[in-house]
Amino acid sequence: MKKTVLAAAALSLALSLGGCSSGLTILSNYRRIENIELVRTVAADKEADGVNVAVCGTAGEESSARMYENTGKSLGAALGELALLPLGRDAVLSHTENMLIGEELARERLGECLDYIERFSEMRLDTGILIVRDGTARDLLHGLTGEDTPAPDVIAGLSRNIARVGDGYFFTCREIASSLADNGCALVQCVRAQKEEKLFEARGDLNIAPAGFAVVREGGGLDFLSDEETLGAMLLLRKYKSRIVDLPLPEGALTVSVDSAAASIRPRFERDGALDRVEIRLELEANVISVSGEADLEDRTVREAAEAELSRLFRRAAESAVARSQALGLDYLDLESIIHRREPLKAAPALKNWADTFPGLPVEVEAESTLQRTYDIVDPPEDAKEGEDPWEKMIRLLRGS
Amino acid sequence: MFREKKAPPAPELAEDAPVTAAAVEAVFRGCYDFEARTLHLGGDTENPVTLCFIDGLVSGSDVAEQVIKPLTDPERFAGVRDAAAVSRMLGGSVYVYTAKHREKLGDAAGDLLNGFCALIFDAERAAVTFEVKSQQRRGVEAPKEEKVVKGAKDAFVETMKINSTLVRRKLRNPHLKIKEFTLGTRAETSVTLVYIDGFTNPELVAEASRRVERIHTEGALTSAVIEENIVDNYRSPFPQVISTERSDKFCMNILEGRVGLLVDGLPLGFLVPGTFSQFMKVPEDHSGHFIVASALTLLRYISVALTLLAPAFYVAVAMYHQEMIPTRLLQSMIEAHASVPFSTAMEVILMLLAFELLQEAGIRLPSPIGETVSIIGALIVGQSAVEASVVSPVVVVVIALAGIAGYTMPNLDMGSALRLCRFLLVLAAIALGMFGVAMGCALLVYHLSSLESYGVPYMSPFAGSEGRHLTRALLRRSMTVKRDREPELGTADGGEAKL
Repeated sequence: MKKTVLAAAALSLALSLGGCSSGLTILSNYRRIENIELVRTVAADKEADGVNVAVCGTAGEESSARMYENTGKSLGAALGELALLPLGRDAVLSHTENMLIGEELARERLGECLDYIERFSEMRLDTGILIVRDGTARDLLHGLTGEDTPAPDVIAGLSRNIARVGDGYFFTCREIASSLADNGCALVQCVRAQKEEKLFEARGDLNIAPAGFAVVREGGGLDFLSDEETLGAMLLLRKYKSRIVDLPLPEGALTVSVDSAAASIRPRFERDGALDRVEIRLELEANVISVSGEADLEDRTVREAAEAELSRLFRRAAESAVARSQALGLDYLDLESIIHRREPLKAAPALKNWADTFPGLPVEVEAESTLQRTYDIVDPPEDAKEGEDPWEKMIRLLRGS
Repeated sequence: MFREKKAPPAPELAEDAPVTAAAVEAVFRGCYDFEARTLHLGGDTENPVTLCFIDGLVSGSDVAEQVIKPLTDPERFAGVRDAAAVSRMLGGSVYVYTAKHREKLGDAAGDLLNGFCALIFDAERAAVTFEVKSQQRRGVEAPKEEKVVKGAKDAFVETMKINSTLVRRKLRNPHLKIKEFTLGTRAETSVTLVYIDGFTNPELVAEASRRVERIHTEGALTSAVIEENIVDNYRSPFPQVISTERSDKFCMNILEGRVGLLVDGLPLGFLVPGTFSQFMKVPEDHSGHFIVASALTLLRYISVALTLLAPAFYVAVAMYHQEMIPTRLLQSMIEAHASVPFSTAMEVILMLLAFELLQEAGIRLPSPIGETVSIIGALIVGQSAVEASVVSPVVVVVIALAGIAGYTMPNLDMGSALRLCRFLLVLAAIALGMFGVAMGCALLVYHLSSLESYGVPYMSPFAGSEGRHLTRALLRRSMTVKRDREPELGTADGGEAKL
């Protein structure tokens, strides 16, 4: 009997503490699931006396997105005080996919934003960080949100497709913080608002477009890379996935999809062991998508010309990325650790004074391209006789004659 | 009213008293099935003896044909009296294969209760008992609970002799010993210990014998009487004795080095020691292909995790750790829960209770009605409850998943123990979220790891055993490969199968 009473008491205690009665809980992070307002995107901008945050939250899949704004002395304060707003719901930041940061705030206080994500247990390190150029993050977030298209969905769509079209890469908080700690600088994807004609009414007033990479320094500071430098950085950081390129030819043009670009980076040393140069070799594989004009793909010289042009474009992108990095004196391409991994002993003296060595280090870039998807291009065998059909040649070889 | 009128104590049976017709009749007074009649040996009216038997326990035709007919034959017993008659009967003049000379009343009464008839010589104050058991018993049938497609179809029945015969037919080994015990101060149930002499660990046999002898009960009529008395920790809800209705599974385990128990009146065989991994195996494992059997065994272990943890994990993440839920799923959950009036904790507890109620109702009711109740219940609980916004669909999915995973448990007792633990883990999750689940799991692992069955760690080979035997529990090797036996069983061959 005594045991039964004890068991019943324990059960009722557990149930009452667990939210089955008046909502008392043992743990402080108890939330009723139906009260959750899921924040998926945070926009942060510099204000005169602090930070302004705008968040886009949804209650469920079917419910429309809602915007909330608050201003605080810091990002943490502004987001923390969201709970005090009369939302009627519990704002949960754990599912924040992307944080849009205004250019001014990024220039001065990006470290603080990263620090908040790293420290606050609810935030995730794989939150994407985007810097908004030519406008405020808040305006972009408002402009993106339409009746049926919440801003987080639009940004998530860009995140999925940006690497596929080779226009950039959404660096996460983890990657940026890690690069800042290792190299003192990091690359961040930039975006800008784009005013376009609405495809349908339920869409927001603005669209979001990639705007290249920005270079952030530890302790503040911001530089922007051109499109070509962005492509080069993606190649060297192995963030490249695919890109569609138009190749002008003497007689027409070729559109190819460059689906593979493997970058191999090797340090070369002098006889006395000093670091002589860095060689970068790009191996590109492209598939022909369309041919326009009179370009004859059966002509080897045409194909070679196309391959050469493609190699030139990508080589130039890589060279410009390295040149900009050296000009800024910021190794955001992580060459130091690549060289260290390749030759840890030989490279040690050069890496000791890397900050001095890096800006003047000769870097040679080579690129080799291969055009594929050539099923309508028949390669004549090496020893084919003049005018011989390749199939006849194959049959001849099979017959052993 | 009845409490005040206590039944008078039954007269003590004078076990050592001499056997007389009057004494035997006094013992069985008030038993309508007790029969006593006077016979004249060799047809001689001056040579009367009393024949006693219990109707139903003996075969009437056997008594008439094998006992009464020769006894009344003048050619055999004319003029043969008392001691000479007893001697002639024991010498084979009666066509019964078992005849015993009884001088003690207790022995004679015991024989009568075991399907013997007794011929009482008042002058000799002794009796001769003949075994003429009735053949009215359930025949050997296919297993009802542990069915296999490819495998033996002879399940144990309630009769000990038939069960021991089934075992003997499969293990034709002169070293197979079947040691008998009698349990129950009132019911006197026959229990036998089955093992292979010279192969099974003698310490295991001795310990099993000791525990069976130690059982104090009025009658071993249910399996719990045996199981709870011979396990190491009877408080644990986890089964520690393997019980099976399949004679082939019983014999396979005897060949592995386990000790078996057969109980008269129970259509089950019991095997010790029982370890966790043994409860994850089904007879089908040994009749199917070894790769398929291994995959299914792994699936059963996954089912253990699912049935135990799915509701608790759901409660923990839905109440405390929403960050662990993928965004899309969380959005669906919020949407689904918006119109439900109960908290997640109450919702899950209600669903678990409803599930248990349905299960109990389905089991207790006769088969066709039980199935109907299950279907109606599933419709009501699953569909109607969701439509009425009493519970959210995600909870129904989680509870159904846990329930279905629980049904894959080959052993009913193991399934019941896991269901109980599932409830406790849900309560822990309600109170402390993932910390509660982790603590609950730690306590469960601690409890399971601390269990032993006849000196064998319950969680072997996962704990308390060599790691190299881990695959034995998780996978089934091909029968062409020389198998390692469980080394913990301490068989005489050192754990290596003789091929």
